[in-house]
Amino acid sequence: MKIILTLAWRNLWRNKRRSLITISSVLFAVLLAIVFYSMEQGSYGRMIDSMVKYSTGYIQIQDVFYEDEPSIDNSLLYDDELARLLDGFGNKIAYQVPRLQNFALVATEGQTRGSMVVGIDPEKEQKLNDLSDNLTEGELIKNEDSDILVAEGLAGILNVHTGDTLVLIGQGFQGATAAGKYRIKGIIDLKLPELNNNMIYMSLQAAQWFYMAEDRLTALIVMPENPKETDLLIEELNASIDQDWYRVLGWEEMLKDLLALMSFDMAGTMVMLFILYIVIAFGLFGTILTMIIERQREFAMLLSLGMKRGQLALMCFFETLFISFAGALAGIALAIPVVLWFYYNPIPLTGEMAEAMLDYGFEPIMPFAFDPYVFVSQARIVLIISVLIGLYPVYKMFRLNIMHAKQ
Amino acid sequence: MKIIRTEKLSKIYNHQSLPVKALNQVNLEFETGEFTAIVGPSGSGKTTFLNMIGGLDKPTEGQIFIGDTEITSLSDSKLIDFRLHNIGFVFQSYNLLPVLTAKENVSFIMLLQKTNPKEMDARAVELLKQVGLEDKMDVRPSKLSGGQQQRVAVARALASKPRFILADEPTANLDTQSAFNLLDIMLRLNKEENITLIFSTHDQRVIDRARRVITLVDGAVDSDEQFER
Repeated sequence: MKIILTLAWRNLWRNKRRSLITISSVLFAVLLAIVFYSMEQGSYGRMIDSMVKYSTGYIQIQDVFYEDEPSIDNSLLYDDELARLLDGFGNKIAYQVPRLQNFALVATEGQTRGSMVVGIDPEKEQKLNDLSDNLTEGELIKNEDSDILVAEGLAGILNVHTGDTLVLIGQGFQGATAAGKYRIKGIIDLKLPELNNNMIYMSLQAAQWFYMAEDRLTALIVMPENPKETDLLIEELNASIDQDWYRVLGWEEMLKDLLALMSFDMAGTMVMLFILYIVIAFGLFGTILTMIIERQREFAMLLSLGMKRGQLALMCFFETLFISFAGALAGIALAIPVVLWFYYNPIPLTGEMAEAMLDYGFEPIMPFAFDPYVFVSQARIVLIISVLIGLYPVYKMFRLNIMHAKQ
Repeated sequence: MKIIRTEKLSKIYNHQSLPVKALNQVNLEFETGEFTAIVGPSGSGKTTFLNMIGGLDKPTEGQIFIGDTEITSLSDSKLIDFRLHNIGFVFQSYNLLPVLTAKENVSFIMLLQKTNPKEMDARAVELLKQVGLEDKMDVRPSKLSGGQQQRVAVARALASKPRFILADEPTANLDTQSAFNLLDIMLRLNKEENITLIFSTHDQRVIDRARRVITLVDGAVDSDEQFER
């Protein structure tokens, strides 16, 4: 085996220029593929992360009717039984984040506007989305507070600041009137414009009082200890929860529209990557084909001397693997600093593209993913391509006619 | 002792369309320790005959016995294995592996035979000494002259301890001095170590040294002469 590997490696450098050109073509294709894929995964990751963080969480427990009709009347009752059931999951659940949300009109002296008023447990919410990091003015609310936090965009629209008072009017649980005056304790920047222009946070206790919805939640976010085991936890929750009353939803189900959009968008990238890899495949195949054709006499000589066809085929197979792996590894090595740079310095978007991102409620930046999968997935594709191409010389070696090859 | 025997050996190319008889009912026997030159004009069947007894090509008719083994009935993989352990080849255009040094080229065949590394190394060194290339062991073929490359090829052919060596016009690409050097080495190996050598050649220098000269004409044996040399 050692001699076969040695021969394969040395054969690669018999025509240095050709090998280097082929390796370079693989290198640049892998580099491009990784950068594109990282960009795509980065954007998707950011979108999902933002949505999970600020909106859905990984898992939500809702009233069985809430998803179809998201009204406070379809809120769930967070009673002792539910609390005990969730406690039973022990350290599989990292923490729970209760929310009670509903629409309300928010009024200042001169303006009225629709807004989303969300009752939160500030300490638990802090764990989920680092609210304090986004505080631009004032202080965070506490559990016992009856003050509110207003999103920066909304505060700007209403032209209000910390210490000002807002009037909230809405409909509470089962048609009750919800009305009250609330002092602004802090202003937070929620990044995503859709949220930033609409959100008002108050303590869960205050919200339950405001909406006349004692012990009720529109959603209980459940954060798994290990996010990778989200699906397993959903299964276990579904198995133990009373499904006549409650529904357990994963983030993928809650964000299915977004994921469908991503898949559609990803298809375009896949087509582009496919074309890129087809180009690599043909480049590689051309080199291997030339190597085979120009070495017919040598192969015939090796068979004459007593080298087995399997050994000869393996040598050619290794040559294909070496050339593609050299390119792939060099491509990955070069891609790491590039991706790392863009990971820490995402590309800011401008113009129409930025507006489109803002319309979808996302930050107008092009983030990159620095995940081993991004690199491994491309290496895997190159491996598959090289194995497929490597099969051609294997086939040819088993079919080689010594007498024809000698001539 | 008989080492090679052919019976009614025939080879017809383009069997279906325009048949060309390259060999026609050739019956020959070779003894251990012979130094034989197979001569004849171009197209007389010299190389075809060598390819047949070397197990590189299959006859259209007839049989080839190497020792007790009838090689035309062997499968491709068995034939490769048979060649590895029984036949040494020296080609006209040397055909050394360009990516291996002289010593590695000689060792290569022993590696295929799975020879013990120490024994392999010692034998490669010894063979290269025998062909006068002890100072070129770590040199790749591209840095060797044609004559030196052919001497490495002879060492490689001997490395597997074959029953006989087939040399297809080994001196054709060599200058006079290199050809004489090569022939001297091969004659010495033949005499001192009783190595059986069968050449196909046009080269009078080889013919003049051969103890047996077989002349092929139109694929058939025209003459078979023995000489005391």
